[in-house]
Amino acid sequence: MAVDTVIQSPGVAQAAPARRHRPANRRRLWPFLLPSAIVSFCILLFPLGYAVYLSFFNYYLDSGASTFVGFGNYADLLGDARFWTSLVRTFAIVVSAVGLEFCAGLAVAWGLYRLTVGVRTLNLLMFLPHIITPVVAALFLKWIFAGRWGLLDSILAGLGIFPPDWLGDPMWARVTVVLADAWQFTPFMILVLYAGLNTVDQSQIEAAQIDGANGRQILFRIMLPSIRPLVAFVLTMRMMDAFRYFDTIYVLTSGGPGSATETLTMQTYALAFRLFQVGKASALGVLTLLAVLLLAAILIFTIGRSKEKSA
Amino acid sequence: MNARAPRMSQALLFLALCLFTALMLTPVIWAFMTSIKQPVDAFAIPPKLVFAPTFEFHRQVWVEKGFAGFLVNSLVIAASTVLISVSIGTMAAYGLSRMRGRAAKGILFGLLSLRMFPHMLLAIPFFLLAKFLNLIDTYPAMVLALVAINQPFTIWLMHSFFVDVPAEIDEAAAIDGANEWQTFFRVVLPIVRPGLWVTALFSLLLAYNEFLFALVLTGPHTKTLPVAIAEYGGEDLNYWSLSAAAAIGIMIPIMVFMALMQRHLVRGLALGAVK
Repeated sequence: MAVDTVIQSPGVAQAAPARRHRPANRRRLWPFLLPSAIVSFCILLFPLGYAVYLSFFNYYLDSGASTFVGFGNYADLLGDARFWTSLVRTFAIVVSAVGLEFCAGLAVAWGLYRLTVGVRTLNLLMFLPHIITPVVAALFLKWIFAGRWGLLDSILAGLGIFPPDWLGDPMWARVTVVLADAWQFTPFMILVLYAGLNTVDQSQIEAAQIDGANGRQILFRIMLPSIRPLVAFVLTMRMMDAFRYFDTIYVLTSGGPGSATETLTMQTYALAFRLFQVGKASALGVLTLLAVLLLAAILIFTIGRSKEKSA
Repeated sequence: MNARAPRMSQALLFLALCLFTALMLTPVIWAFMTSIKQPVDAFAIPPKLVFAPTFEFHRQVWVEKGFAGFLVNSLVIAASTVLISVSIGTMAAYGLSRMRGRAAKGILFGLLSLRMFPHMLLAIPFFLLAKFLNLIDTYPAMVLALVAINQPFTIWLMHSFFVDVPAEIDEAAAIDGANEWQTFFRVVLPIVRPGLWVTALFSLLLAYNEFLFALVLTGPHTKTLPVAIAEYGGEDLNYWSLSAAAAIGIMIPIMVFMALMQRHLVRGLALGAVK
């Protein structure tokens, strides 16, 4: 079918007849996949399998002692209140951060959509926080929230307000961590949602306007529903990434004060690289993965259900 | 175009968005100002907005504190990662984009789910394997780790470019007698060259920004900038100006990147570049 159209084009007409017995779709393509497949297998799948294997052992990195415990590590973790606290805490941080990012992102994207001048420049400038090295971004924020000398504290002190200990108080530390994630990922939401809003069919919007819909109605009744698959996709992506959020927390609070901001990822890191309980840490990693998959499945089914295509 | 705001409220909207942008950029500007302030100005309360700038700390941190060396490590690792990752990823993406049937879709979906794995779960076996193979604190360990985690992204992004090239072009080349490899290298690859650049730059950024694996796999000889600044920064306020200078320096290549890539940001980021 496609070959016929090509043959009719003048450039290739002459060479055609002799080779027609070997159509392009029968070409051998698997060699192209080979190098990447080898790398992905050896450095991605094999280590993952190894991690799952490790999770069945009581393996101490410092002493090298290793004993098979079956599901012992999993039973330990599931029976440990600390795991459940971490899980709930991670969930709370992820949901607040992603929720905040989505709301702020949508508001700004809608603003950009309605704006007619300077959109490109503003979009580019507000995007900067998203591509800064995460560790550097966390430091920038640390210097805002640092006690006494930080920018926020000096401003508040100037206004005569006694500032809370942003990074030292358990409650405020969680707020700070959420704000830090929001600072880095709201630009991402803005970019994706703004691009999405621009794909909405203009004739629908005009029809709604003729019917007397105002701006807010157009956004929530017409535009959002029509980019629903994109919203489902971006929320799922973001949730999954936020679940493994590590760099920023490591630099900002290292999970502290106490364990106020210790997410599952931080707890895994501490188990593996501070306490050297590699087996148990792997089990925790696997449990985190299961939690993420469950969350993603719920999200895709609830938001993406009505449309079969997800972006 | 009718959903755009009327002229009167345009000014208000513009003002509000400018304020938001300013708020988002405040931490960066504050850090930059800290990096060019004398300590006496940096710790002034209320914050000083007018002061005599000094670039002494920038010079000190890069020249005397060894950050130039960390920059070299970062660049060597990021560049090798991009070379390997983009070469093999591009080939795989081409193969997948030209395959028919369910297999290709299945592989692409599998890759996407690999991208979602918590990196922490990989860091543990990477560390143990690297230790076992005596590769801790060597470039190859870090490069291999980054190539592996870069593969899903590279393949997805390149795939999106190859899909845009009509299959008829390959078929025409095949009819002219080109084999699979000639078709790939001489016909299709030149067409997607812009996409290749975009993918390479995004992979470069990903490798440059990576922290967790660098924390676990590098040591004194191969330490990258993110690990160095995380160790250095934030701890002692005496180093505040110095680490601010380092942090600003680390950000400069990224700003260049952003200027180069502004048109391609959506495509790359929707697939999860950067973090």
